[in-house]
Amino acid sequence: MAYIELKKIDKFYGDNHVLKGIDLKIKKGDFVTLLGPSGCGKSTLLRCLAGLEQISDGQIMLDGKDITNEDPKDRKIGMVFQQYSLFPNMTVEENLSFGLKLQKMDSSEIHRRVKDAIEMVELSGKEKEYPGSLSGGQQQRVALARGIVIRPKVLLLDEPLSAVDAKLRKSLQTNIRMIHKELGLTSVFVTHDQDEAMVMSDVIHLFHDGRIEQSGSPVEVYTKPATSFAAGFIGNYNILDSCDMERLTGKEWPSGRIAIRPETFFLSKNEITTEDYCMRGTITDSLPRGNVLRYTISINDVEIYADVLFRSISMFDIGDRLNIGVSDHNCVRL
Amino acid sequence: MNVEKKQNTGAKIAIGVIIVYLLLPLAMTMIYSLFREWIDIMPTGFTLNAYTELFTDTLFWKAVGRTIVISVVPIVLCTVFVLLAMYVVVVYHPDWNKMIQILCTVPYAIQGVILPTCVLSLYSSAPEPFGNRMFMLVSTYMVVILPYVYQGIRNNLNGIGAARLIEAAQMLGASRFYAFFRVVIPNIMGGVTISVMLAMAIVFGDFVIINTLAGGHFMTAQMYLYDVMKKSGQRTCAVIVLLFLVTLIISAGAFFLQSREKDRKDR
Repeated sequence: MAYIELKKIDKFYGDNHVLKGIDLKIKKGDFVTLLGPSGCGKSTLLRCLAGLEQISDGQIMLDGKDITNEDPKDRKIGMVFQQYSLFPNMTVEENLSFGLKLQKMDSSEIHRRVKDAIEMVELSGKEKEYPGSLSGGQQQRVALARGIVIRPKVLLLDEPLSAVDAKLRKSLQTNIRMIHKELGLTSVFVTHDQDEAMVMSDVIHLFHDGRIEQSGSPVEVYTKPATSFAAGFIGNYNILDSCDMERLTGKEWPSGRIAIRPETFFLSKNEITTEDYCMRGTITDSLPRGNVLRYTISINDVEIYADVLFRSISMFDIGDRLNIGVSDHNCVRL
Repeated sequence: MNVEKKQNTGAKIAIGVIIVYLLLPLAMTMIYSLFREWIDIMPTGFTLNAYTELFTDTLFWKAVGRTIVISVVPIVLCTVFVLLAMYVVVVYHPDWNKMIQILCTVPYAIQGVILPTCVLSLYSSAPEPFGNRMFMLVSTYMVVILPYVYQGIRNNLNGIGAARLIEAAQMLGASRFYAFFRVVIPNIMGGVTISVMLAMAIVFGDFVIINTLAGGHFMTAQMYLYDVMKKSGQRTCAVIVLLFLVTLIISAGAFFLQSREKDRKDR
C-alpha cells in the first residue's frame, strides 16, 4: 500500500489549470523527485501536499489517513524551503527547538534532539549563532535540520539547493541523501535540475504542463524516455523523425520519432564494425562541457549531437570527416 | 590604508558638521533660556529662574503628561490596528494589499487644518464617546499618523518575507496567528520602532489639530508653549528645551530597548 497517495489532484488559479488530474503513489522510505521545468506545477503539488495550498479537486492520503482538508500544522510534514525561511530573530538552536516546543516536549528531550540534528548536519559549535551570521550553505543545513528535528512523516524539499553554489550543492546533495537513509525518511524533492534528480532519487516523476509525463527510476527515465518532452528534458537526446533516420542510416523507418542519446554515438576515423548503423559525417562544431566534449556533426544534412569523453584520443577538429556508429537498441522509439 | 584612514576622517568631520548644524538652534535656545539679557554679542545675567518656575508649575507638567498620553495612545492603537490589518493581508488576502495601501495613504492628501475642522463639524454635537474631545483627538491623530505607521510596517513585512516565515512556522506546527505574532512581529520591531518615533515626532510637533479640537477644553504642552510665548522669551526657550528633553528621553528609551534586543542577538 502506498504511504502517500495523491488521487486525481486538480488545482486552478483563477482560469489557470495548474495541476491536471495528478495521480501519484509514493512508497514509504522512498526518495521521490518531482522534476520539471519552471511553471510545470511541481512546486504547486508539493505545496498542496504540505497543505500550504488548497487543492481544487482530488484527495490526498498520508499513511492511510485523508489529510486533504487538514491544516499544515496538523499534517506532521516537514519542509525545507528554497530560500531557507529561517527565523532571523532566533539562534540556530532556537530555530530547531521551535517546532519541538510547540509539541510541548520535555526540555531535556528538546535539547537532545536539537543536539543530534545539529551534529547530523555538521553544524556543531554554531548553536548560538543567528542565521544572518551563517553562510548560504550553513543556513540551508539549519533549514534541513529544522525540517528533520520534528521527526516528520514526510520531508518535503522545495528546490532547497538552487540558491547555493555548484560545489556546495554537490556536498549538500550527498548530505541530504545520507540523512534520508539514516533516518528512514520518506522524502519528496522538487527540482528542475535533471542531474540533481538522477543523483538523489529512487523514483523520478517528470512533470510537464501540470501533468506527470513519465515516472520511473532514474535509469529508466534516462534510458527509456516515453515522450519527446521527456527525451528533450532528460539527457539532451537527439530527437529525429523517420525521414531524418532514413537519411542517416539509409534504411526505412516506421513513422514516429526516434530519440538517441548523444553519448551513445561511437565516433572514429577508422571503419566501425561493432555498431548496427554506420554513417559518415563532418564535424561542424565542438563544445567542451566539463569532462565531455560535445560535437555537432552533419550527416547527409541532418545535424546530430554526439558526446565523447574529453580525452585527446577522442578529439576531432572542426571540418574532420569521420565514421559515426550507433546501436539499434540506443535508438529509442517515442 | 592611508586612503581609507583619510576617508574615515572625512566622514567623521562631515558627520560632526551636520550634528553641530542640527544642534546649534537648540544650543542657542538653551543659552538664551539661561540668561536674563542677550543684547550684545554675549548674553548677561546667568539665571535658572525660567527652569525653576517651570519645574514648580504644575500646569506645565500636567500639560506635558497630557501631551504624552495624547501622543502615545493613538500611536499604540494605530500600530495595533495596522498590524492586525496586515496580518489579514499577509495571511489570508494578499490581494487586498493594494486597497489597504490606498486607504492608508489617503491621509497624506488631507491638509493640516481640513481634517480637524471636518471632525469638529461632524462630531462636536455627537453623543459620547464620539463627542468627547479626547476621543476626537486620539482618533484624528490615528488617521494623521496612519500613512507613516503603515509604510513602516509594510516595508518591514516585505523585507523579511513575512508570508514565507509564516509558512515555515506552520510546517513546524504553529498556527498562522501564533506564527505572525511569535515570528513575524519580533522581526519587524526595529522598523516599527522607527515608524513609531516618526509618528511621535509628528504628534508632538502638531499645534493645528490640537488647538482646533481641544483649544478651549484642556491644555497640552503645545498650547502651554503658545501661551508662554506671549509672556516671556526666556521661559519659552526653557519650555522648548524641556520638551526636547522629554522627546529625547522617550526616543532614547525606545532605541535603548531596540539596541538591547540587537545586542542579545549579537551575543
